[in-house]
Amino acid sequence: MGAACDAVALMPAPPVTVPRATLAADASCRVGYDLAPARGAIEINNLSIIFGQPGKEFLAIDRVSFAIKPGEFICIVGPSGCGKSTILNMVAGFERPTEGSVTLDGVAITKPGADRGMVFQQPSLFPWKTVRANVAYGPRMAGLLDRDAYCLADQYLEMVGLAQFAGNYPKTLSGGMQQRVAIARALVNRPSVLLMDEPFGALDAQTRAMMQETLLRIWADNKTTVIFVTHDIDEAIFPGDRILVMSASPGRVVLDIPVTLRRPRSTDISLDRLFLSIKKRCLEIIRREILSAFERQAQASESNHS
Amino acid sequence: MVAFVPTTRAGLYRSLRIISIPLFFAIWELVSHSGIVNEFLFPPPSVVAEALFEWAVHGHLLLDVGMSISRVVVGYILGATLGVAIGIATARYPALSSLLTPIFQVLRPIPPIALVPIVILWLGLNESGKYFLILWAVFFTVWIATHFGVQRVDPLLIRAAQALGTPEHRMLREMLLPGALPYVFVGLRTSLSVAFYTLVAAELAGAFAGVAYRIDIAHENLRIGLMMAGLVVLGLISAGLDLAFEGWARHVMRWR
Ligand SMILES: Nc1ncnc2c1ncn2[C@@H]1O[C@H](COP(=O)(O)OP(=O)(O)OP(=O)(O)O)[C@@H](O)[C@H]1O
Ligand SMILES: [Mg+2]
Repeated sequence: MGAACDAVALMPAPPVTVPRATLAADASCRVGYDLAPARGAIEINNLSIIFGQPGKEFLAIDRVSFAIKPGEFICIVGPSGCGKSTILNMVAGFERPTEGSVTLDGVAITKPGADRGMVFQQPSLFPWKTVRANVAYGPRMAGLLDRDAYCLADQYLEMVGLAQFAGNYPKTLSGGMQQRVAIARALVNRPSVLLMDEPFGALDAQTRAMMQETLLRIWADNKTTVIFVTHDIDEAIFPGDRILVMSASPGRVVLDIPVTLRRPRSTDISLDRLFLSIKKRCLEIIRREILSAFERQAQASESNHS
Repeated sequence: MVAFVPTTRAGLYRSLRIISIPLFFAIWELVSHSGIVNEFLFPPPSVVAEALFEWAVHGHLLLDVGMSISRVVVGYILGATLGVAIGIATARYPALSSLLTPIFQVLRPIPPIALVPIVILWLGLNESGKYFLILWAVFFTVWIATHFGVQRVDPLLIRAAQALGTPEHRMLREMLLPGALPYVFVGLRTSLSVAFYTLVAAELAGAFAGVAYRIDIAHENLRIGLMMAGLVVLGLISAGLDLAFEGWARHVMRWR
């Protein structure tokens, strides 16, 4: 964390005591964090989701159940259209389950909230706000003074390497840069759950590696729960505590495998024997799933023809 | 002279823009004197300029321009404010929309000019009737632009705002209004020219001052130069307002 901003807890009694004198001396950016104990336990129970009107129903998610411990980093991989974004939307509170339940810390999720940060698959910056104002938006909504919100924003922009673009409007940034701003915008809120939908898909290999390491570092600092969706197995194993592999539509969890690699991890961990065996296992399952999906499709079109 | 010979394409376009209006006046002057047209009915720019000068010095040019502009501005601001406010309301509350939209859709296609006689009966020839006509003309265009603008704000941005902790009561200010702005501005700009048509109709139907009223009076006295001067002044006013509006819109939406 940059030294410019002193951390002052928003809680009545700050768990981290910062001498008042330092605060007064460096009052340029006093911002608070909620240093509450780790939260973010998610439980998904027998979740099914059906889209479409009666008569034209489409089963997108088929009886999925899994639980995530507070602070766990879990990665979801699966073929396109299997329902990864849909599951994130449920946890975010944008959509309601057709059947089953999704709870956060024991409470059913009924609506979106700042405790669950989301990085969307598509660009989602507010085009009428500058990059800095986009990142400062969450803190402002949380009630911080503009000055403090903007100071925090600058700090997080520095973290994603975009400090010099703070005054730009989003349209002047490349897709990858916009996505990094979106990540900073979600992180600055200190959510107890961070939902990331293929956040690095638009980045080049170098930037992607840098962002993966940054994300891991931030996660190690904050211990928020992360649900990370990707279709790149390496990208899933590198940061993950656990990997869920989903089947092609209708989405089911077909493999739930822990990643017990030691931490902290660096990029060369992808040569580790354990890493490779996990990767092999995942690839086998995905291959099997894709083949069976093709077979089902072939059967369906055959029965259509006859 | 050599300096005026354009050396680049951009330079050529700039030179053409500069000579465009003088060229127009020159051709007009020539045609008027050429004998192809009746010089009395189609006076040259020099005669029109003389009439304009006369109007400014011995007539009531300032009063006429001031009255016309104040009518457009008052009617426009009332109509636009009402249009934006009700557009937001109907976009946000489906019940209100179901109630009002059918009524508005029936009233909207009526050309404001058709209302002039009845408005004169109701409100007389004073200013309030002219404000009302312009308000009416502006309202529907702005209402429909705002209504659809608010509804077409990208749902993904709304979701992003919700996940960042936006309370429901701040959604309008933070997301819906800025998101709808490009649509609202299209409506505002279109209705600015509609406001001018209506102004002309209202003044022709009866007034005691105003640019279109002056054109009407000049017509009765067969002062063709003054009539044309009136047209030039109307053109200048509406072009000026449109230009000012465009500059303002570009500043407000510099993020686009
Ligand atoms: N609002 C909706 N209405 C109808 N069908 C939907 C809706 N949202 C998603 N679906 C369907 O549900 C399935 C899962 O979609 P989802 O976006 O979750 O897939 P995904 O795993 O995120 O795919 P990708 O990797 O391509 O992003 C798809 O078949 C999609 O067509
Ligand atoms: Mg998706």
